[in-house]
Amino acid sequence: MSGAARGWLAAAALALALGGCAGMTAKSDPAAGGPGAATARDPLAARHRQQAEALEADAQLRRAAEEWKIVLTITPDDAKARQALDALRAKIDRAVTERIDEGRKALARGVQVEARRKFLTALALDPGNRAAFDALQNDTREVEFMTYTVRAGDTLTAIAQRYYGDRSRSEVIWETNQLPPNPKLTPGTTLKIPEIPGVPFVHPEARRPAPVVAAVPTPDVPRPATPAPAPGATAPAGKEEFTSEVNPLLAEAREALDRNDYGDAIGTIDKFLVGKPGDREGLTVKKQALYGQAKSQLDAKQYSESIQSLTVLARLQPDYEDSSALLKQARVRMIEQHYTQGVRFYREEKLKEAIAEWRLVLEMDPGHANARRNIDQAEKLLRGLEQRMKK
Amino acid sequence: MTTRAWVLAGAALLLGACASTAPTPEPTATPSSARPGPRPAAYQSQDFVVTFAQPGDTPETLAERYLGGADKAWMIEDYTGLRAFSPGQEVVIPRGPWNPAGVTPGGYQIVPILTYHNLAEQAKGRLVLAAASFREQMRYLKTNGYRVVSLADFVEFTRLNRQLPQRAVVLTFDDGYHAFKDFAYPVLKELGFTATLFIYTDWVGAGRGALSWNDLRELSAAGFDIQAHTKTHADLRRATGETEAQYARRMQAELEQPQELFNRNLGHRSQILAYPYGRWEEGLLPKVKEYGYIAAFSVRRQGNASFVRPLTGHRSQIYSEMTLDDFVRNLNVFQEENLR
Repeated sequence: MSGAARGWLAAAALALALGGCAGMTAKSDPAAGGPGAATARDPLAARHRQQAEALEADAQLRRAAEEWKIVLTITPDDAKARQALDALRAKIDRAVTERIDEGRKALARGVQVEARRKFLTALALDPGNRAAFDALQNDTREVEFMTYTVRAGDTLTAIAQRYYGDRSRSEVIWETNQLPPNPKLTPGTTLKIPEIPGVPFVHPEARRPAPVVAAVPTPDVPRPATPAPAPGATAPAGKEEFTSEVNPLLAEAREALDRNDYGDAIGTIDKFLVGKPGDREGLTVKKQALYGQAKSQLDAKQYSESIQSLTVLARLQPDYEDSSALLKQARVRMIEQHYTQGVRFYREEKLKEAIAEWRLVLEMDPGHANARRNIDQAEKLLRGLEQRMKK
Repeated sequence: MTTRAWVLAGAALLLGACASTAPTPEPTATPSSARPGPRPAAYQSQDFVVTFAQPGDTPETLAERYLGGADKAWMIEDYTGLRAFSPGQEVVIPRGPWNPAGVTPGGYQIVPILTYHNLAEQAKGRLVLAAASFREQMRYLKTNGYRVVSLADFVEFTRLNRQLPQRAVVLTFDDGYHAFKDFAYPVLKELGFTATLFIYTDWVGAGRGALSWNDLRELSAAGFDIQAHTKTHADLRRATGETEAQYARRMQAELEQPQELFNRNLGHRSQILAYPYGRWEEGLLPKVKEYGYIAAFSVRRQGNASFVRPLTGHRSQIYSEMTLDDFVRNLNVFQEENLR
């Protein structure tokens, strides 16, 4: 049950105690709005005014505003209540704008968890705020999860039972990790254990490390490049299979890498590197992604794209794995591709197109004798054709 | 002014103390419902109605009186946190949505969307639920104050256009089994629950176990919502080795052909999709959108906040081996989080 409802239960208890009396006043009040009405109105309004003030003092601004509206429902001419409501509304607007602003800045820095929290707190103040809502829905990814290293004998249901107290939540772990239908868990591999809204982590070590502290890093203190253990994390020694994820963007990029979505991985890690240029872990992920991308492009015969990826990779680390061999291979295949394309055009008597292809070949490999010879021959033919046309 | 108010508030409290020692008023003593009399006193503004419960008043009667329909009773229950009132008790009634996103300083609302498949007298395998279990589960929802809302209303919730009851739950039935008509429909009708059927069009009319287009038209007329579950119930993710062109053709068949059949047989297109096996991937979403779906659902076992991405909604499958406790674990409607 929500906090608001709980608060209302307390209010209702008060109302119940007053019930008998209110019944009597209500009976004498059928002429509400008439001269006698003020006597019934005022204590009623006073009670809500009191509540509004108490809520405002407790920084529960939205509910305080509602109480002021209730006061004004009962006594519409209460100028002081109107003033109080207007002032409170302005205060809420300012706070909401500020939080959305902070959320956007956090997004720009790539700190998803903080952005999410800022937008959520804005909505808690103004639950109809479309800017905060849209930002939360479209620009913010929920990426909070733990990682778990599989041990011999583990099953998804057992892990789900440990984390969520609910075996059937194994499906969420299954989906999050994009596992095959009947997965065999290999000891040593890692699984992501996501937070499930509405389902508290039950495993003692799995509790979210001090959410408020972890979610809102002090804005003026830059986060260390190598993430320190989250404050409040209480993993007892000897039980080290649970580690809280370090940086959501980094995690997101790794996740993309795991599903071979290299484009997404590169886009995400670039955002991460803007905030932490030169971060070693970040660069490792980027290199892996570029390498994977180049390979898959090579397989898909997208040679120029592959060469591009490999060139970027070479700038980061020229001797990365077999990247220089791959680059050579991509070049050779691309040359072949253009060369045979030229031959195809030539056969179709598209001489100009054929020449263009072979010129590309020469650009990449100036010593390509066949291309040179073919160009000469095609140009000769073209000239002959043109002369015949003139006649 | 303020001083006077405080004095009056004090007086009210004293009176309250008085009243608690006085004998409780008998309902028959003031049969206000019997005599025509004046309308009960109420203060009204554009935001709220502040009134006093009459003997016999319930959230339903008050909603009928002030909100234009008993179906709005949830607004009174959710706002006051009460489901019953004593005569004379003050009741504050919001006249419109006060929290469309369902976000409060203590956390946020999540909406469980339950997924059923086939039903039979006896359970058979995971996905054929015993009719008696289904009845038990639906009764549980009713007696525990859950409000079954339509999937369309939920989709509006994800667009910030509609506040939902705090205990809102959505019911969905996948594939289009004829057993829905035999076992689910009577229970839902009795309890006044609505539901969405996700049908894959190759299955429609395919033998005795399947609903026909005629059945679906009938159910649609009876207030049930029919939506698409693709053409063949194949995994919509791009297969390895599948070229861009092949994939595009396959998605056209899976996503557009149901639309044509919906149009022809039900007179409308489908706006909501259930992913077969719950499987989706990022690259699929633009295609889903392209063919006119505004929301789509996996079977990831978790509830949905208002701000969930509408094309990646979650549903929780209910299996035949689940106990009532297991079932209840899928009904969380609130995520606590300090958002102050």
